[in-house]
Amino acid sequence: MQETPILEPEKEDTEGQTIQIVYDHMADIRCAQTTLLSRRHFSVRNQIYLSNVLVFLFALGMILVLTLNNNRVEKRLKFLEFVNDFSSEIQQARRYEKNYFLYGTNLNDAIENIHLAESIFITQSEEFSELLGGKKARQEIFTQMGAYKRLLEQLYQREQIDPKDFHSTPFSKTSELKLRGYGKDILTSAHSMITLEKRTLEKTLNRSRTIHLYSILGLLVFLAINAYLLVSRLYSTLNRFSAYAKRIASGDFRPIVPQRKFRDEFTELAVAINEMIKEIDLREAVLIQTHKMKAIGTLTAGVAHEINNPLNNIMLTVHMLLEDFGKLSQEEIIEMLKDVAAETDRSKKIIRNLLDFARESTSTMESLDLSVLLKNTVDLLENQIRFSGIQVDLQFIENFPKIHGDAQKLQQVFVNLFLNAMDASIKGSKIQVIGTLGDKDNSVKVSVIDYGQGIPQHLLSSIFDPFFTTKPKGKGTGLGLSVSQGIIAKHGGTLTANSEEGKGSCFTIIFPIINFPEIHAFSL
Amino acid sequence: MSTPLEVLLLDDEVIVGKRLKPALGKIGCNVEVFQDPELAMRRIAEKDFDIVVTDIYMDAMDGMQVLERVHERSPRTKIIMITGYAMIFLAREAMEKGAFDFIAKPFKPDDLRAVIAKAAKALGTSISFDSNPVNG
Repeated sequence: MQETPILEPEKEDTEGQTIQIVYDHMADIRCAQTTLLSRRHFSVRNQIYLSNVLVFLFALGMILVLTLNNNRVEKRLKFLEFVNDFSSEIQQARRYEKNYFLYGTNLNDAIENIHLAESIFITQSEEFSELLGGKKARQEIFTQMGAYKRLLEQLYQREQIDPKDFHSTPFSKTSELKLRGYGKDILTSAHSMITLEKRTLEKTLNRSRTIHLYSILGLLVFLAINAYLLVSRLYSTLNRFSAYAKRIASGDFRPIVPQRKFRDEFTELAVAINEMIKEIDLREAVLIQTHKMKAIGTLTAGVAHEINNPLNNIMLTVHMLLEDFGKLSQEEIIEMLKDVAAETDRSKKIIRNLLDFARESTSTMESLDLSVLLKNTVDLLENQIRFSGIQVDLQFIENFPKIHGDAQKLQQVFVNLFLNAMDASIKGSKIQVIGTLGDKDNSVKVSVIDYGQGIPQHLLSSIFDPFFTTKPKGKGTGLGLSVSQGIIAKHGGTLTANSEEGKGSCFTIIFPIINFPEIHAFSL
Repeated sequence: MSTPLEVLLLDDEVIVGKRLKPALGKIGCNVEVFQDPELAMRRIAEKDFDIVVTDIYMDAMDGMQVLERVHERSPRTKIIMITGYAMIFLAREAMEKGAFDFIAKPFKPDDLRAVIAKAAKALGTSISFDSNPVNG
């Protein structure tokens, strides 16, 4: 069999159609692509923008609250100043008033001061009305101040009328007492206002400090959450994609399916990877098909020879029948015709095995008994086995668990392993196939063991590489093991090789019993 | 009519023996038919045959081995190889090892008869076979 080029241009069309039939992954990939793209869009860029806007708004709010608080502090300071001014005017007035009663001087000054205090109070109190403890308190101070002023004015008027010995008049005495009382009251009010205001100011300053502290903490928490969200989004997605890459590299060509409720920049990557998977899958299907054609070629040569035996029997029988027709008894004729019938039947069987293998059918995953599949494969290869003079020994444990798989594709794998084993073996040696339970739960293991020339250690790592072959040019395509590994990977299994040069090789396939990824993955 | 040719026919296909025994008998051959190479070899050890007709691919023993063994024991025996796996290298190998002729399956009884007639001639005897077959 000569080497078949992988992609003959004129073949591409039919090849493509075949692949559509053999591989129904395309629909699943298309479905995955639409699902990926139909989600709401929320890009990483948008998340960054959004979080920045939120941080800005948060900071803005913070500044607003602090500014408001500062205003309040400012207002309170002004108020304190005002109360201070006010109380110092009152104090001044009282000092003059005292002087007046002691020395008879400064009454004018006292009146002047109380007027000043009153005017300060009137002009400013509007502004600070809410700080003065309401209208009532203001009214009270105002009344006291009015009374104080009136008394001073009365004193003044009376002194003008009768200045002589005015201090000793009972009116002056009572006025002095009253004035003292009023002055004290006003000052007490002013002082209590100052104390109250100082306390409030302290509170406001404290609040300002608290706001500062909490808003910084809040900003910190906000930034931390934002960073966490952004980083975890990027990190987990990158992790996921590196897992995808590993998975695809191992030959698992299931498309990437949506994992989140929204789409973003990574979706474009996923879509691109799915496109790539589609391409790889197509290429792989082409490779599998190419390899199968090669295997069919090898088998056809065997079948063409094998068919010669029954054909020869028919030819001899028919010619003898023609030759001796007149001389033969009816029983003899019937016996010869029966031989012909049996031999045609035998021919049909020989061809049917090959046709079953060669038939292009859709990839169907079904429950499979590998021991039966191996038996059929040995039947299919009967001619090659006979021709090479090698004995094939099938050993399967009883109740070998069934697996899920594509019978045709798996047969292709086993045909390939057998043909390789036969190529490596010398006449009269043995090929063993051992089917047991796998070391892990829910797995089965099938080993194909030959006692042939073995594979040198330094080549062992490359035997699964596509187009790697040790066979002479024109004999091997170097596709067999690569394609086989691809097929086994699609079944969720593994194909590994062990070999010792000069002693033989052992190819081991491990299949999962329950897990059949092709069916699960695609029913999204 | 001269003395019959002693022919041993070895093929693991039963029908081949069943049909060829009377076919060759007609041209004056005394045919012993074997399916098992071991039994055939034992018989060859007992008796010198003029002609041995053997299949090449058999389960227990290779026709080439039969060829070598017969050649060793009785160099004058003409050996005719028949096989379904007719390939140039096989034919060459057989001829190199001293086979008289090589016939590819499927063949007609007359094809073998013609070769046997040729072998008889080489052996110095003649058999009653017209080398221009009637129903060829």
